[in-house]
This record gives sequence, C-alpha cells and structure tokens, in this order.
Amino acid sequence: MTTHHDRAANPLREGLSNRPMPQPCTVVIFGASGDLTYRKLIPALYNIASDGDLPAALSVVGFARREKTDDSFRNELEEATRKFSRQGINEELWGSFRERIFYHKSEFGDLEGYERLAQRLNALDSARNTRGNRLFYLSVAPSEFGGILEKLAAVGLNNPAEGSWTRVIVEKPFGTDLPSAQTLNSVVNHVFREEDTYRIDHYLGKETAQNIMVLRFANAIFEPLWNHRYIDHVQITAAEPLGVEARGPYYESSGALRDMVQNHLLQLLCLVAMEPPTDLTADSVRDEKVKVVRALRPMKPEDVAHNVVRGQYTNGAVNGREVTSYRAEDRVSPESMTETYVALRLHVDNWRWADVPFYVRVGKRLPKGGTEIAIHFKAAPGVLFNRDSAVGPNVLVIRIQPDEGISLRIQAKRPGASVKIEPVKMDFHYGTSFGKASPEAYERLLLDAMSGDATLFARSDEVECAWRFIDLIEQAWHAHPSPPPLCQYPAGSWGPAEADALLERDGRAWRRM
Amino acid sequence: MGSSLDTQALGFPVELSQLGREIKKLWERESQTSTRASLINFAVFCRGPEAMQASTDLLMEFTRHHACRAILIGAEPDSSQDQIRAWINAHCHLSRAGAKQVCCEQVSFYFEGRTGNRIANVLYANLDSDLPLYLWWQGDFPAPIDVQLWAWVDRLIFDSQSWAQPRQQFSLIREALSSGHSRLVLCDLNWTRSLHLRQAIAQMFDCPENLTLLASLNTVTISHAPGFHSTALLLVGWLAAQLKLELHDSRPDNSQFTAPGGRPVRFVLKQESGRSISRCELHSDTGSLLCQRDTAGDFFRMEIRHQHGDVHHHLLPSGSNAAAPLLLEEIAGGGPHRVYLRALAIAEPFF
Repeated sequence: MTTHHDRAANPLREGLSNRPMPQPCTVVIFGASGDLTYRKLIPALYNIASDGDLPAALSVVGFARREKTDDSFRNELEEATRKFSRQGINEELWGSFRERIFYHKSEFGDLEGYERLAQRLNALDSARNTRGNRLFYLSVAPSEFGGILEKLAAVGLNNPAEGSWTRVIVEKPFGTDLPSAQTLNSVVNHVFREEDTYRIDHYLGKETAQNIMVLRFANAIFEPLWNHRYIDHVQITAAEPLGVEARGPYYESSGALRDMVQNHLLQLLCLVAMEPPTDLTADSVRDEKVKVVRALRPMKPEDVAHNVVRGQYTNGAVNGREVTSYRAEDRVSPESMTETYVALRLHVDNWRWADVPFYVRVGKRLPKGGTEIAIHFKAAPGVLFNRDSAVGPNVLVIRIQPDEGISLRIQAKRPGASVKIEPVKMDFHYGTSFGKASPEAYERLLLDAMSGDATLFARSDEVECAWRFIDLIEQAWHAHPSPPPLCQYPAGSWGPAEADALLERDGRAWRRM
Repeated sequence: MGSSLDTQALGFPVELSQLGREIKKLWERESQTSTRASLINFAVFCRGPEAMQASTDLLMEFTRHHACRAILIGAEPDSSQDQIRAWINAHCHLSRAGAKQVCCEQVSFYFEGRTGNRIANVLYANLDSDLPLYLWWQGDFPAPIDVQLWAWVDRLIFDSQSWAQPRQQFSLIREALSSGHSRLVLCDLNWTRSLHLRQAIAQMFDCPENLTLLASLNTVTISHAPGFHSTALLLVGWLAAQLKLELHDSRPDNSQFTAPGGRPVRFVLKQESGRSISRCELHSDTGSLLCQRDTAGDFFRMEIRHQHGDVHHHLLPSGSNAAAPLLLEEIAGGGPHRVYLRALAIAEPFF
C-alpha cells in the first residue's frame, strides 16, 4: 500500500506515530451545502488540523447546487465549526484552515460543471502540491450516486495520474435492499475499484467499537471463554428516546430494520462474533466480518414470525413529556406500517456460536438512549452456591454510547455470618480513566480514508450479504400473504410486550439498561 | 534557609503506619458522590518546601487529564530533624460527561534529615497494586543512584534541561541501567519538549516530493533560547541519527557530519531570545524548510521552498513547554524511546 511505502520513505517519521499518515490530497464533498458537511465533516477536518494530523498539502472543495462564493462558504463553515467542533475554534488556525476550502457551484447532472471541477482540481494540485490525490465524498442521497459517478468518469476524474490515487467515500444508506445495493455497488465499482471505495458506517469510527477487537484479542482472559461453551447468549441494544424528528419521509421508506440493523447493529455483531483475523490489514479484518454475516441463519417467513418482533410507538411520555404516536408525526402516513422498533433472535451458524442466540433490538421513543453489547455467560454449575437458588450469570457489557466503557458483573459474598450472594459490577468508564476526549467518529474515518486504510469501512460483499439476510425479513413483512403483526408500544416504554416474550420463551430476559 | 513547608494543600496529616487505613477512610467518605480512578502510580520526587507546593499544584492539574495514584516525595536532607511526615488528599474534578466527580488520591511524604535512605521502602509500601510505576525525578540524581529505588520503576521521567552537568547525570543513569534493570524506560522531558517540532518537521516530509530536500541536505540551523541548548542538541542528535549522518568534526555549536555517500552536512546552533527552540532551518541543494515558532500563538509556521520556485506553507501545533502538558504528552506517547536513545548517543558528547 502507498501509505506504508511513504511512511518507510520518510526517515523522520520513526517513533512519532504508529498509524498510517494521511497523504496530501484534495477532498471533494458532493452535497457540500448539506447538514453533514456543516455539522460533521468540516468540524472533523478542522479538529484533525488542530491535532496537527492534517497533511500540509490538503484542500477541500465543496460541490453543491446553491449559489455561494469561496468566501461565503468559508464564513458559513466557520460559524458551524464554532458550534460543532469538539475543541472550539482557534482564530489563527481557522484562518489558515479556511484558505484551504473552496466552493464549486454546479448541478450534479451538469457535465460542464465537472469539466470545470477537473480544471480546478488540477490547478489546486499545482498550487497546493496535492499531487493529484483526490478523495470524493458522496454526501448525497443514493439516488444521486449514479449520476455523479458517471460524470466523474466522463471527465476522467476517477482515473488517477501515475503515482496518485482517487478514492470515494459513500455515505449510508447503501441501498435499500439487495438488488439496489448490488446496483449501487455495480455503479460505484464501474467507476472506482473496490479497494478505492470507502463505505462509511460511523459506528465503526467510535472508540468503543474499535475497542471490541482490542478487548477480545489483546486480553488473554476473554478469548478462551468467547464461544458456545461459556457464553449463554448475546444482547445488542440500540435505544433512542427521540422520535423520527424531521426525518419522517426518510423513515417511512426505511424503518428501524433497514435504518439501523442492516448496517450499524450487524457491524457490531460481526465485531463480537468474528474469528481472530490473521493480521490487522483491512481485508483480513473484513474477511472475518463477512464470514459472520454469511453464517447468519437465514429466515423463512415462519421463522420471521417466530424470531422477529416489529413494533411502532403510540402516544406516550418520554423524559416526563407527552409525545405523540409515530403515525401522528410530521409527514408520516396516519396508516403507516413502518416499524420504529425491531427485536430479533439471530443465530450465527458456525462452530464457535452453535446454539448461542444473539438478541438484537433497536427502537425509537424508548425510555433512555444508549447502545451496548451484553455478553451473558452461562451460569455456574448447580452445586455449592448455585444448588438451592441460582445466582445470576456473569455479564460483560460493552457500552458503545454514551458513557463509553466496559463493565463486568460478578457474584460476591455479602459481608456477614451467613452466605448471601449479591451481584457486583466492575466498571470501566473511558471518560473517568482517560481524561482526553475521544476524537469524533468522522475524524477517525476521514483520517483513515486519507491514509488509505479501509479497515473501518464496509466492503461490498459485507453490504450485500447483510442485505441478503435483511431482505428475507422485509419480504416476510411486506410480500407474504399473512405477515406477522406490527405490534404497538407506548412511547417511553421498552418496546412491545411481544419483544419480552421473544426472550421469555427461551427462559431469558432483556438486560435492564 | 528556605521557607517552611506549607502543609495545607497536602491534605490530612496521617501516621505513616496508618496510611493505607486512612486512604480507605478517605474513599469511604467520598464514595457517595465520586468515583476513584487510577491507571498508574505516578511518583514525583522533589526537593524542599517550595517544590512540594509547586508539585502539588501540578499534580492537581495532571490528575484532571490522567487518572493515577499520585505519590509526592519531598526531601530536605539539611533539616536538623530526622523524620518522615505523610499526608493524604484527593484531587476531584467533574468527568467529561459532567455527571460525576472523578477523584485521584495524592499521598505525600516529606523526608527530613537523614531519612532519605528510606524512600524506596516507603514508596513500595504505598503503591497501588498491579499498576505501573512512573517516577518523575526532578533535578539531579544523587550519586550513587539508589538501585533499590529504581528496581520497580517502569518509566523514569527526568528533564535533562535542568541539569548543570548532563554528561555526569547520563553516566549515572547508564551505571544504574547496567546493574540489570533493563525494563526501565528513560523518558527525558527535554526530548518531549521537542516532540511537536519533530512532528512538524517530519510531517513536511510525508510529501514524497519534499524528500529530495533531505537527500541533498547541507546545512541545519537551529535557534534556541538561553537555557535550551541541550534541547537543541537533542534535535541535532535526532536529525543526524535518523538521516544516518556520521560525526566528522565536533566544534561547539558548529559541527560537521557526513551523510552516506560522503556529502558534508553542517549543524549550526544559535542562541536567541524566544521560547525553547524558536526556529529551525534545513537547507539543501534543492530547496529549504523553515520552521518558525509563532511568538503570539501556539503554532509553528512551516515554509517549504523548492529550487524550482514552489513555496508551500503550513501551520502546525507547537505544544506547550509547561510541566503538566509535557508530562501528559510523555505519558500519552509511551513507547520504548529507541529514537531518543539513538539521538542521545549522538548528542551526548556535545553536552
């Protein structure tokens, strides 16, 4: 990979950083007038600059339809960065950073706009030494991907000059089902090579998600227990107190299963269930992740009825405030059948996870927010302290957000003459132990893309395998003559009673968050 | 005589033999409202009452960013009384999430008179178990070095900038290391002081076009503030070691090296007013790199100039020269500091 070659070639780098360094490049953001640019991308790039990690030669070009000048664009971004940067703004640094930002007005479908873009990028390469390296960020609706990529190819911007590279970052949703994902993959891969395609899932940029592999493979005590012999089941939860807010139309076409499970939660499941990779290169890690998705037991319609619960919130209260039902939300059909909650019982059919269910739930308008993975170990044998009444199992919880950390529940003797056993929690909080704030997920992911490290990005086969699995559930819900019911739950509750029953049938219960 | 010890900031005085019990009581009192956190044992050795006060202030700042058991060891060998006094205290601050107080304990000892030979024993007795021990030794090391004290130290932190006779001090360290405590990692804050400068210089050469400048380097000029000569020498050592230069002629502040292939490279050190290293220039047959510390802010202004006329600028963080940020940088960086040892091997004869 160019990255490692470059690092080796710079003799002064030794001992200064153990990560691939970002290379000189121009980042071109399509959809630059959108929310993501203002709230996440530019603040992330600014924070990278503030940490001293941005390459000396880096330019940012915003590509969008609206009328703006370089200066007006920079001024808007300054205001947004003041608001959204995790470390505020330093006037001097911003002054230097803003000079690297440019605005390019064009319709996405206007070929002439791309020709001008190509000329502008060439001029920037000469002026700013960006070496013809380009990172195209598609921060647009998937329906725009094809048109943009086609025009990039038409003006040759997908073909790097000798010794340079071009890469593309694609924002989710990457398809809405398997055929659309395959079409998108085909469109993208027609223009960019798979190794130059970076499908972003911001969950993978989170510190705790990255820590799952460290926890499993840098500690000798967990991996011997990490299998069906010692683990009873795994629970993965992503809870949100928010409703759909202004995203009604999007959510109507998506629902919780497509919006969260297909990407974020299956990614977390892969990190928990994967085999140790042979090394830490992007493809070795992604090879192992994709094996997990392939091993997910496919569901027939009757399996969906038995193993999946879909729900939708009704009127209720969240944080002590009354909130309306999903069907009464802005731009949502009053007869909507879109799920705002889904709970699944999944099986990974391989040797390691034989007969270990993975319970996954995600929902809106739940009592509190948080994403976590809970590994429930098998109970101790029914002798000695477990003989008369079973003590609770050990549970290892990996909190992805908020209050990132890890806790382990163990059993301990309550002080006193009699033997009374109580669960106690050993708790590690990132925020308590490490005073330094974690970088935002987008900072890490942008740095990786600029460095040519695709480990934390989804590969096409991963995405397609995930859709293949999810489509079976969607089909059972929407294409089957007798679909399972859409259960209702009051806003502010922990979901429909049927989701509790899903675990109760197996003699288990959802973890109290 | 110096001033007397102000014990107020050190917390509750405790009997040395009761220290463990008193710490337990301290946390019982605090446990309702706060969380205790600790990742390392961070022992700080200092001399005299003023240094005790200054170190306590620094530890308060340090623990905001890095959870530890802080162990402050003060020594006043000239005191007429032979006694060891001890105190315990907690430094608490709101966690990043803002929901709860995170607290670190500080255990302080003051060794007066002829009690200095008991430091190792007292330190070992009061370590937080299983956590690594980082020892920051302020000022000069005593001769001979207390090998027993160093036996359990994982990282030995010192600042060679503060030494009047660095060669003698490095010789003491080598002597102690040769006695078998090879796991000890040497952490020189004088090296950490140049971290951002080294990063800034290195970053300019991540661009392969700029590497030609290194390949034909002929002169390096480093401007340093009074008192930062040793920092500049370590920088010379770093560049020479990483570029595989061999010393040819070692005149003070104007030394000549030979690059592989026989090309001469001259290093010139200049003393100027300013902050630590204020300017570093690399000149070659194909261009130049100028790295200038911004006096107003906390940045290095970088300028790379190619012979064919291209000029590129960059602004990079310059870090801080204050003790707490330097310590935090050092501890966050970790690692075995092999590059430092190579740089030191070249720089040491110049000290």
